[in-house]
Formats: sequence, C-alpha cells, structure tokens
Amino acid sequence: MTRRVRLIVFAAAAAAVGVLLVVTVVGMPPFGNAFHPYRDVAVAAAIAHQTANVVSGVNYDLRAFDTLGEETILLGSVVGAAVLLRPGREERERTEVPEDEPPLQAVRLVGYLLLPVTLVLGLDVVAHGHLTPGGGFQGGVVLGTGLHLLYLAGGFRALERLRAVPPFEVGEAVGTAAFVAVGIAGLAVTGSFLANVLPLGTFGSMPSSGIVPLLNVAVGMEVASGVILLLAHFLDQALRVERR
Amino acid sequence: MALSVPVAVLAPLAIGAPILGACLLLTVGRRVPRRLVDGTAVAVAALVLALDVLLLVRSAGDPAGHLATWIGGWGPGSPALGIALVADPFAAGAAVIAAALTVAALVYTWHYLDSAEAHFHALLLLFLAGMTGFVLSGDLFDMFVFFELMGAVAYALTGFRVEEPTSVQGALAFGVVNSFGAYVTLTGIGVLYAQTGQLGLAPLAVALQGRPPGAVVVGGFVLVVTGFCVKAALVPFHFWLDDAHAVAPTPVCVLFSGIMVELGLYGVFRVTTVVFGPVLPHADLQRTFLVLGTLTALLGAVLCFLQRHLKRLLAYSTIAHVGLFTIAFGTLDPAGTAGAALYVAGHAATKSALFLVAGSILDRYGSVDEIDLHGAGRRARVLPWLMLLGGFALAGLPPFGSGLGKAVSEEAVAEAGAPWAPALFVLVSAVTGAAVLRAACRIYFGLGSRPDKDTAPLDTKGSEEAEVKGLLKRVPATMLGPLVVLLAGGLVLGVLPGVPQAFAEAADHFLDRAGYLASAFGTAAAPAAPSPASGWTTSGVVLGLVSSALAALLALAALYRDRLPGPSAVGRRIGDAVVARLRGLHSGHIGDYITWLLVGVALLGALVGLPLLAG
Repeated sequence: MTRRVRLIVFAAAAAAVGVLLVVTVVGMPPFGNAFHPYRDVAVAAAIAHQTANVVSGVNYDLRAFDTLGEETILLGSVVGAAVLLRPGREERERTEVPEDEPPLQAVRLVGYLLLPVTLVLGLDVVAHGHLTPGGGFQGGVVLGTGLHLLYLAGGFRALERLRAVPPFEVGEAVGTAAFVAVGIAGLAVTGSFLANVLPLGTFGSMPSSGIVPLLNVAVGMEVASGVILLLAHFLDQALRVERR
Repeated sequence: MALSVPVAVLAPLAIGAPILGACLLLTVGRRVPRRLVDGTAVAVAALVLALDVLLLVRSAGDPAGHLATWIGGWGPGSPALGIALVADPFAAGAAVIAAALTVAALVYTWHYLDSAEAHFHALLLLFLAGMTGFVLSGDLFDMFVFFELMGAVAYALTGFRVEEPTSVQGALAFGVVNSFGAYVTLTGIGVLYAQTGQLGLAPLAVALQGRPPGAVVVGGFVLVVTGFCVKAALVPFHFWLDDAHAVAPTPVCVLFSGIMVELGLYGVFRVTTVVFGPVLPHADLQRTFLVLGTLTALLGAVLCFLQRHLKRLLAYSTIAHVGLFTIAFGTLDPAGTAGAALYVAGHAATKSALFLVAGSILDRYGSVDEIDLHGAGRRARVLPWLMLLGGFALAGLPPFGSGLGKAVSEEAVAEAGAPWAPALFVLVSAVTGAAVLRAACRIYFGLGSRPDKDTAPLDTKGSEEAEVKGLLKRVPATMLGPLVVLLAGGLVLGVLPGVPQAFAEAADHFLDRAGYLASAFGTAAAPAAPSPASGWTTSGVVLGLVSSALAALLALAALYRDRLPGPSAVGRRIGDAVVARLRGLHSGHIGDYITWLLVGVALLGALVGLPLLAG
C-alpha cells in the first residue's frame, strides 16, 4: 500500500473500531461504583491468610499461578534477548573495552552514596512485600537498576568488576525454579499446587502470610537477575561487540 | 497405578516440568556437553508428553469428560478466588500434540549447528510450557498470561538466526502484530472483568448468561478473540505468518505450523463455546466464522500455489488449512467440531513432516527455492517419496488422518447449511497439495521445464542460509526419524478404527458447556448426549481421491505450463494484475499489517454486531 492508501484504510478501520470501543465503554458500569465482587471476597481471603498487603495476597496466593506465568514470561524474554543480542558470525567480542571519560565528580559522589542505599531499599521492598506496597517484582527492578549506579559513577569497568554475568544467570533460573518448587511442595503436602505449606503467623508481623514472602523472594531474585542480565546484554552489544 | 494420579497433580506438573527443565538447562547448559543438553531437553519434553497422555486418557475416560482443579485450593466459589485448570479431551489432546511435536523438534535439533549455549533448548521448553498452560487454563486472564509466554518466546525463536537481517525483520513483524493483538485481547478481558468481576471462564459464563447480547458483550467478544485470531492467522490478521515461517529455524516452524497457529483457534472456540455461546446468537457466530474461514482458505491457497520459497509455500498452506478448520469448527455442532479436530491432528503430523523435509532440503542443498533447486535432489533415495506422500496427505488422500479430517469436516459443513463447502474443501486442499507435489517433482525428479530463474518476484524466492555448518552429505537419522514417525502418525490416525468415535466423544465434551461449568464448580452434571461418530464414508473417500487427483493434475499443469494452451491476453493480464495486487498487500511493512489488523477487528465487529442492531 502507498502511504496515502494506508492512511485512508487505517483511518476508516480505526473509526469503526473507535465506534466499537465507545459503545462498549459506554455500556460498562460507571467509574467509582460499589460493584466489586472480587474485591469483596479477595480482601477477606487475604486477611484470613494473615496477608496485610492484599495486592500481594492476590498476586502470590490467590492467583499465584498467574504470577508464575508472568515470571516465566520475564525469563523467556531475557533469554530471548540474550539470543537475539549474541554476537553474529560477522561480529566478535572485544576483550578490552576502552576506558570512557570519567564522569563528573558530583555524579560519582551521588552514585557511590546512593548505591548501597538503593540496594538496601530494593531488599527492603522485596522482604516486606507481604506487609507494605511492593514485592518481588518491584524490589527486583529496584535492585537490578540500582546496581547500575555503579556504571554511572564508575564506568563500565567498575560495573564489570562487581557484576560477573554467570552468577546472575544462575540466579535467574534458580528464582524461577524456586517458584515452581514451592508449588510442588504445596502439591506434596496438601495435594494442591501452590497451596500454602507454611504457618500463617500473625497479621502484620514479619513472619506472616505463609508462602507469600517466600514467593516474593523467589520473584525478587529472578527479576533482579533478569534486569541485570538484560542490561548486561545490551551494554555488551553496545560497548563490546564490533564488526569483524 | 499411573492412571489414578489426580488431575491436580498432572496438570500443574505438565506446565511446571518444562519450566524446571528450562531452568536446569540455563543453569548448567554451558558447562555440559552438547549431547547432554539435547538428551535432557528431549527427556523433559517426553515427560511432559507422558503427563499429557495420562491427562488425555483420564479425561476421555471420565463420564463427564472434564477434569478440573483449582490451583492452591482457591475455588470454586462465587466469585471464584483463584485459577482453575480444566482438562477435557480437546485441551489434553492439544497438549499431547504440542509435546509430541516438541519432542520431534528437539530430536531434529540434535544436528542443529548453534544452540546458543543451550538457550535454544531452554526456549523450546518454555514455549512448550506456554502452550500447555494456554490449553489447560480455565481462566481468561491466565490464558492471556500463557498466550504472552508463547508469544515472547516465539519472537525470539523466530529471530534466532541473528546473522540474517530478514530473520530479525520477520521476528519484528511477528512480535509487533502479535503483541498488538494481545493488547486488544487484554482490553477485552478488562471490559468483561469490569462488567462481571470475574476472570474464570466458568464463573464468567455464569455471570454473562441470560444477559441480552448488548454492546458490552459484543465488544468483549470481538476484543477478546482478536488476539487469538492473530495467532490463528485468519485473514486479515494473517500477515505476520509467512514472514515468520520463512526465517524461523526448521524445528520452530514445526511447532508454529503444527500447533501454535491452531491454538489460536482453540482459544477462539473455547471462549465461544463456554462464555459467549449462550449469549450471542449462534447464527451470527456461524456466519462470522464461515466468512472469515472462507476468505482465509481461498487467499492462503492462492498465495501458497504462487510461492517457490518452500517454507513460505508451506506457511501459506497452513493459512489455507486454518481457514478450513475455522469453517468446520464454526459450525459449532458436534460433527463439524469432531471433523475439525481430526483435521487439525492430521494436519499437524503432515505439515510438521513437510517442514522437516524443507529443513533437510535446506541443509542438504543450501536453498529452499524450488526453481533454483530444479533437479538438485535427483540422487536422493527416500526423501522424494516421503515428500510426495506428504503432498498427497495434504491434499487429503485416504487413508491419511488429514484426509479423514477433511472428509468428516466437509460433510458436516455441508449438512450445517453450506452445501458448496465440499467443493471448497476439495479445491483448497488440492491446490495446497499440488504446490507441494510440484516442488517435489522439480527438486527431486527434475520434472518440468526449467523456468527462467529471474522472472519471479523477489519475495517468493527462497534464498536462505543452511542451518548446519557446511552442507550435509546425507540426511542423518535424527532428521529422518522424526519425519518418518510424523508421517506414519498421520497415517495411523486415519486408519485406526476407534479414532472417529474418540474424536466424536471429545467434540461432544468440548461443546458440553454445562459439563464444563459443572466440573469447574465441582457439581455433578448429566453426561452429554452422545452424537453419532462419522468416519470414512464412500463420498468422503471419493472426494479425497478427487482432491488428490486434482492436486496431481494441477502440479503437472504447473510443471508443463509452457506446453499448455495459454489463457487469452486479456485473461492473463487480469490474472497477473490480481496476483500482483495480492502480493503487494504482503509488503512486509508493519504499518500495513497493523492497518489490516484494525480492518479485521472492524470486520469482526460488523459481522457479529450489525445483525444484532438490525434484529
């Protein structure tokens, strides 16, 4: 299609789909109404399992199987990115990366100061996922990106010295496998995959809500490793791989 | 003993085992010898196959035909808190096909040059997990999650050969178009959830039943099935398919054409029968599927015949056959559903075998272009005959399973009110079979006049890089073995006496909405009334022979076109213009593909919505 024809066809089809969307949305229940059948039962179920953060209760207990699928999507995407970014036949990896210009003093100072703070924050978000907003996914992203303050403050070499790739490949796989393993433990103990097998503890205290914190740690490990690997593959492709 | 294992164990393990296998390969894959990686991956896929077969046996042997388990024990209830996995013979059967093809693909991969440190094997196992999760899931959002898992892995597998720019391009088109479809589906899920507060298929069905077929239901249906239609490559959602098949590694093509595309149809018809069937008028749904299926079958057949790039040729043949499956499933009656499922199973065996033939041709002769390879395979002993057999099986030759599926389907569709359907089925299967026969005759027997090499448009040519280091001297057993087993499987399916009966029962269960709901909610349901099974009939055998003969004639006509009286100048010019226009639509431009996707959504909305407005 020429650009003009494409635009005309697109506009016509988009208008028709727009009409469909408008009539669909107009027929939906009004915003902010009290009709929330799932909320009504999910909050009660999460509290019954001593989970203070109900969102985590939904994600890691009631609908934990979805979360396993989502975690696996991330695993598949990171492995897929590794495959697509691997050096091709006409490319090769340099062993030495040229030293880049040192960053500004202020960036170095703030980067090195914030690095430990960010990592602790990430761990905190993962560890308290069943109590306060956050959890494995969010904390994992904080951990994975936080580590790259090292890249901003110290450059690629500083990052490489502290971040070897293989341990994170293991971490990513172990994090995903741990989720499945917790599921199988539920199967073995109660006869139901991903059913709770741990004491529920007291509401609001650190050891509470059964397997939820365990699954949060598994996901946090996988997400942090995945983000680090993803960035490592892209950084390698940009800085290290060159045409033969 | 094994038969008493409950579904609560089998279903989650069939999804969890390949994930664990992939994790294991990712952890140790680069440190162990290649053969161990191959062996581990095959063992895990075989384990999944065994679990799926047990599920199939259990669900087929169950009087209600459905076995449900709620993950974590969170259900049933109103509203349901958790996620149900539901196995009926169709879901388990689709999982069996997926696992069996994964085993075949992994055995074929034994000789595959570059596994990217076992990443290829890990991705194939994750792909299997996605497909298994998708079919077993009894929850709309969970289906979406596994649909996305299938997608994310499939894009990477498509672009696996990173050396070639076309490979990355094909993967990109696939990724963008499929992701867009998936977002439309997600929007539809949001619409239904806002309306009902439910995500489970069974609870959703209960919440929607008895409602008037208003805008929200129509919108929800159209949006939800859009993503599945993209995966199923229904016209005009199909544009990504041939680009992806042309560049994806051979074992990946086997899984794409053999089962992934058909899983799109599974999604469409699972939500149609369980959730929307009682709400939307059947006549409107049947008409919608008949229109989409016919368009898909005709366009796929024409473009298949025009190709000289073997993998694209097979890809378009998949589109053509998906069109036929859609017509048969679209009857929404037991006979059509049983026929379509048989056809899907037979096609999976045949088409996978043909893709393996194409892969071995690529690795043996360094090209998949039937014109460039004219006579290149004259000295081959076994493969020529296997490829001819595959071509005839595709055309519906009795007693192949694909022929049986075609026979049962065409009869059912004709009885459901489209008396012209057998003609369409014969024509489309004959044309796609003819394309394969023509290519086999050119490559292996050197038949036909050698057309001028450079007359064909660039996009139909088949210049691909071999997938092994250096060209093979002979085709190894690990490549030939899966091919022979698959073709034989396709044959057994059509010959085994109990098959039509088993598929008829499975179709009854698939359409038994009350049984599905009862098993999900843990209540007792009366078993569905059994429908009569239909197997080989005289007319079915005759039509199968007719389409095979027609395929042979068409192939010969294409080979010796220059000796035939040509059409008149005007006719030729019109024909050329139409062909050029059709080809031009498949431009590789992602903007075009997205535009057509929107056209498709509008078309679906019109087909389902307008009759309701008028009525």
